[in-house]
Amino acid sequence: MERSFAKEVQSLKKGDGEIFEGEGILAVTKAALQSGVSYVGGYQGSPVSHLVDVLNDAKDIMDEYGVHLEICANEAGAAAMLGASIQYPIRGLVTWKSTVGTNVASDALSNLGSVGVTGGAVVILGEDYGEGASIIQERSHAYALKSTLWLFDPRPNLTSIVSLTEKAFELSEASNQPVMVQLRILACHVQGRFEAKDNKHGQFTGNRKLEKPNFDLMKIALPPGTYAQEKHKWEERVPAAIDFIRREKLNETFDGELDDLGIICQGGLYNTVQRSLNHLGLADIYGNSRVPIYCMNVTYPLVPDEISAFCAGKKHVLVVEEGHPAYIEDDVNVILRKADVQTKVHGKGPLPMAGQYTSDVVQNGVSQWIDEIGLPDTNKGSAGARIKYIVGLKTKATKYLGSPVPPRPPTFCTGCPERPVFSAIKLMEKDLGKTHISCDIGCHTFSALPPFSIGQTVLGYGLGLASSTGVAPNFDKRVISIMGDGGFWHNGLSTGVASSVFNRNDSILIVMKNGYTSATGWQWVPSTPKEGNFEQSHMSIEETVRALGVKWQRKVRTYNVAKMVKTLKEAMTTTHEGLKVIIAESECMLAKQRRVKAERTKLIREGKRAVRPRFGIDDDVCTGDHSCIRLSGCPSLTIKANPDPLRTDPIAHVNTGCVGCGLCGEVAHAAILCPSFYKAEIVYNAGPFERWLAGVRQRVIGMVYSPEELRLAPRQEGAMEQEDAAKAA
Amino acid sequence: MAKTSKKASAPKAATAKAAPKRKTARRRPAEERPVTVVIAAMGGEGGGVLTAWLVDAARKAGLPVQATSIPGVAQRTGATTYYVEIVPKPYAETGDLEPVLDLYPGPGDIDMMIATELMEVGRAMEKGFISPEKTTLIGSTHRVYTLAEKMAMGDGRYDGDRILDAAKQMSKRHILFDIERAAQDAGTIVNSVLLGAMAGSGVLPIEPEAFKDGIRDSGKAVESNLAGFDVGFAYATGDVVELQTKPAPPKAPAPRPGDSVGDLKGRIERDYPSETHAVVLEACGRCLDYQDAAYARLYLDRLDTVRAIDEDRGDGDFKITNEAARHLGLRMTFEDIMRVAQLKTRRSRFERMRRDVQAQDDQLVRTTEHFKPGPYEFASVLPKGLGRRVVDWADRNPAKARKWHFGLHIRTDTVWGFARVRTLAAMRRLRRRGYRYAEEQDLIEGWLDLVRKAAAVSKPMALETIECARLIKGYSETHKRGVGNYCRIVAEIVEPALAEGVDRAGDIAQARAAALADPEGESLSEAIAAMAEARDGAAVAAE
Repeated sequence: MERSFAKEVQSLKKGDGEIFEGEGILAVTKAALQSGVSYVGGYQGSPVSHLVDVLNDAKDIMDEYGVHLEICANEAGAAAMLGASIQYPIRGLVTWKSTVGTNVASDALSNLGSVGVTGGAVVILGEDYGEGASIIQERSHAYALKSTLWLFDPRPNLTSIVSLTEKAFELSEASNQPVMVQLRILACHVQGRFEAKDNKHGQFTGNRKLEKPNFDLMKIALPPGTYAQEKHKWEERVPAAIDFIRREKLNETFDGELDDLGIICQGGLYNTVQRSLNHLGLADIYGNSRVPIYCMNVTYPLVPDEISAFCAGKKHVLVVEEGHPAYIEDDVNVILRKADVQTKVHGKGPLPMAGQYTSDVVQNGVSQWIDEIGLPDTNKGSAGARIKYIVGLKTKATKYLGSPVPPRPPTFCTGCPERPVFSAIKLMEKDLGKTHISCDIGCHTFSALPPFSIGQTVLGYGLGLASSTGVAPNFDKRVISIMGDGGFWHNGLSTGVASSVFNRNDSILIVMKNGYTSATGWQWVPSTPKEGNFEQSHMSIEETVRALGVKWQRKVRTYNVAKMVKTLKEAMTTTHEGLKVIIAESECMLAKQRRVKAERTKLIREGKRAVRPRFGIDDDVCTGDHSCIRLSGCPSLTIKANPDPLRTDPIAHVNTGCVGCGLCGEVAHAAILCPSFYKAEIVYNAGPFERWLAGVRQRVIGMVYSPEELRLAPRQEGAMEQEDAAKAA
Repeated sequence: MAKTSKKASAPKAATAKAAPKRKTARRRPAEERPVTVVIAAMGGEGGGVLTAWLVDAARKAGLPVQATSIPGVAQRTGATTYYVEIVPKPYAETGDLEPVLDLYPGPGDIDMMIATELMEVGRAMEKGFISPEKTTLIGSTHRVYTLAEKMAMGDGRYDGDRILDAAKQMSKRHILFDIERAAQDAGTIVNSVLLGAMAGSGVLPIEPEAFKDGIRDSGKAVESNLAGFDVGFAYATGDVVELQTKPAPPKAPAPRPGDSVGDLKGRIERDYPSETHAVVLEACGRCLDYQDAAYARLYLDRLDTVRAIDEDRGDGDFKITNEAARHLGLRMTFEDIMRVAQLKTRRSRFERMRRDVQAQDDQLVRTTEHFKPGPYEFASVLPKGLGRRVVDWADRNPAKARKWHFGLHIRTDTVWGFARVRTLAAMRRLRRRGYRYAEEQDLIEGWLDLVRKAAAVSKPMALETIECARLIKGYSETHKRGVGNYCRIVAEIVEPALAEGVDRAGDIAQARAAALADPEGESLSEAIAAMAEARDGAAVAAE
């Protein structure tokens, strides 16, 4: 794993009354332990990758309470784990990234939501919604509605997050339904504190096991159970949930003196709403607002009488609800209509239809609303002043800057083993023409960005190959699909490879085998190498693919660009019909460097011989065309001002971040670019013979240089200063 | 972050209740706001640790604090933004009131903006995170170039001075220096220097000494972190001031002594105005180094004809001469395989390489060169006629020609490897008989001829024609593409313009920019087509 939480997890042992200080994700783990869970599971994905890592690092604490940890193959597997809660009074918690993970999990979730649960079943949803998101933008709320899963959206402070996670288990049991707890990306990473409680043992755990199975036909998706389940859901479970939410005051009402107004917001947006009121002079920073607020920590189901009671007597309420469709706003309107409450409901309008509700978006919306309805003691339009100020700031900056600052899109890491594959595709396409390329989810999706701009579609995780099956028969060249090893094990193995072999599709699949789900921080997959050795991995992609009946299969070390180009050309032109699989293998460079660097540091410290490879560029040989950068895009391959006084274009330059992966040289070689590149191997603690040999070599080579040539050496930095100094003397 | 358990048992924190306060009797003034800090850091700069130092120090001071982070899309390559709010009023003074703190930085509401790279300073301004009323800006002036800037075929760099100017206008106070270098000099990474600068700025409600205690308590890299802290602190308190993005422009290069340079130098100093000496001496010296004294004299003979233009113009401005001198020097020292071998076997080159790869004196460096000569490289050393035939064949059969490239990985730190490359370098004595030499000299003569004709039309026309030489650079395909673009602009714009005696300096500049816009030459085609259309339209309108 990329990040170790070994130290932080110690705080999971805290007991009653102790103050826990740390990150949101860690707090959720603590809440699970305080709730007496018996099993946890999940599939990694930002922003809850770290939750999986925390659980991993907390293994000894988990063992103490007999809590089983399952690193699931995908989100469907994680959701299916909650099946344990159907028949038995045991509590479980699973986690994944939403909405994409929820999509994958939805089959199991539908069943779970229909059958209902006995033991508390809680899902932590890491919401990746917003401008930096790497997934499609949808609402998890739709799943709550569709499958009748309760949805929590806690206020983003640790006390609320923890207590609501605990309440989620209770609600789940009180109403026999699973609960999803939605955490936005910033809430996952928030640093705060809360008062801890003792951890609890579950009723049945790995330490105290169940002894006999339960059986109840009514809990199986067969008639007559299915209809009975639906009936039970609406007649028993929904009312029970609403009762519990009301009784336990899960939603919070904050009074304010302007009682003909009100704001209804999702819990996760509460702090941002408060701050926007603060900027308008309507609230202090301790949560005392002049405008009453109804904060919905539970966004499904709604509690109609709470909402109508809050709105009764108010002229206007503003619903602050992130994302679209505006399910909550629509429901509030219906609830008020049914209760015959005549409050005017505002929401989308002053607030934007979709997109992340960041600080300025909410400020903008609340100000507009205030200006629209007018406050008794402030001038109409005064709320808009702040918005004008912010817009003015940005305009001023744009004016001073003159032109927009160039974007800094994400890219492959320095030395990434996936980059060479795309260099090779670019070179192959130069000779054979461009073809359709179906991409997948993973670091390799960055191929769509410059400098590669490769890939026509992305359809979902592990779906690269499946998404090519409609194009392939209608395209005049063989099409290429790309899949990572993470995606392969997640579902690409069956959805893609098995299906393609079964359908006798004629296409090409490149499996990026770097050993981990690296985009989320190096979580392990079945083919993760042991000590960097792929031959010793638990399961082999090659053997799996062969077993599925793929006849044409090649394995290429990714850094060997020339061989990769050749293999790609062969795959494109061979007469072999059927699926052709190229396994592009090389370990994730970050994982490798962490290991290799440690080994090298150890050798150097012990005085033993060690070699550090690096690439470099000769300043005076490079002419500043940057073809090499256009074929690589490596962060350590950059530019610098041209030291040559006759030239103006910046030259290419390898900075100190270089890990010596060799791609520069390979690309320059395969693409026949330029001879500026050199490889340098720096030898630490060389032995006496090696030193002697190097000395002899240097002396022999040194004899070649005439004094004249030494004087004629190209200008060096500072040469002028020396000369000036000499003259002055 | 790591030290939560210890802190919780500290007497101060233990008294603080973490439970939320629903209601308090009295609302406090809205103006009592937290101090807000945005840290825009890039991977490997230790932004997470920096935030933890800040949070720990605030907690120790008994102040309410909240921090969060927005990681880049990829976990590592994207920039990570950290956002911290610290309430200056300690829990002790408010009766343990728990504030409601925001997770999103608000435009116009940032007290302290930290950006660890110059372009990120600009981005922070675009987002509204820097305001003249409120924001103390701590930013680094060094550059980590974006891909768009790096990919450009010519010079795609964003002008950093614009950001510096804007930063001065947009911030309440700016502390701008090369934080990366400061960290390197102090033997540490960026985060401790930033912490020092933050502490020194006086914006945070925390004593500087408290931060130093935090560094000491962490027990990790204490010495280097404290050194970094002190450097940052000195910058913020005004003890060190620095504000520049660009290194000082290179001074005039030193004239190089040589057996016959004496005469040449005398000739240059006698015939040329002093403002051109720097470039002419450099270029002339380079020709001498490239071939021999006769070649250097040829350089001056050629340049004399351009100087004559400026002298005839008589406006005392020798810009045409200066620019022509620069490009002529480069064109005459075109990069062929002998030149590369010559440059790669210089002693100074090995010294520079050792510096670049950060090899210590006691370490050995093994050097492997990557060569891949093909038909064009072989042709360049073949006699003119034979070379022409090889090139023609290669032009006709690009796929086959690509197979006739030989990959050579040569270890120039060994005697045998060095000797091979050195021998190649020595072959430059045969250069004049080669095909490439003849080709290049024709191109150069043609270009100079155009320059002289263009000067008769206008000065901008002459300057733009000179600048077209910039298109020809690089090796194999890059070189071929450059020559192709150059010839195209000459044939389709320069020559027709000269034939008509029309000033089309603007068109030339535009076409050159288009030629450098994409390697496929699409922009150039579009630009030329658009110009033709515009001219046709103008011609029709005139009729």
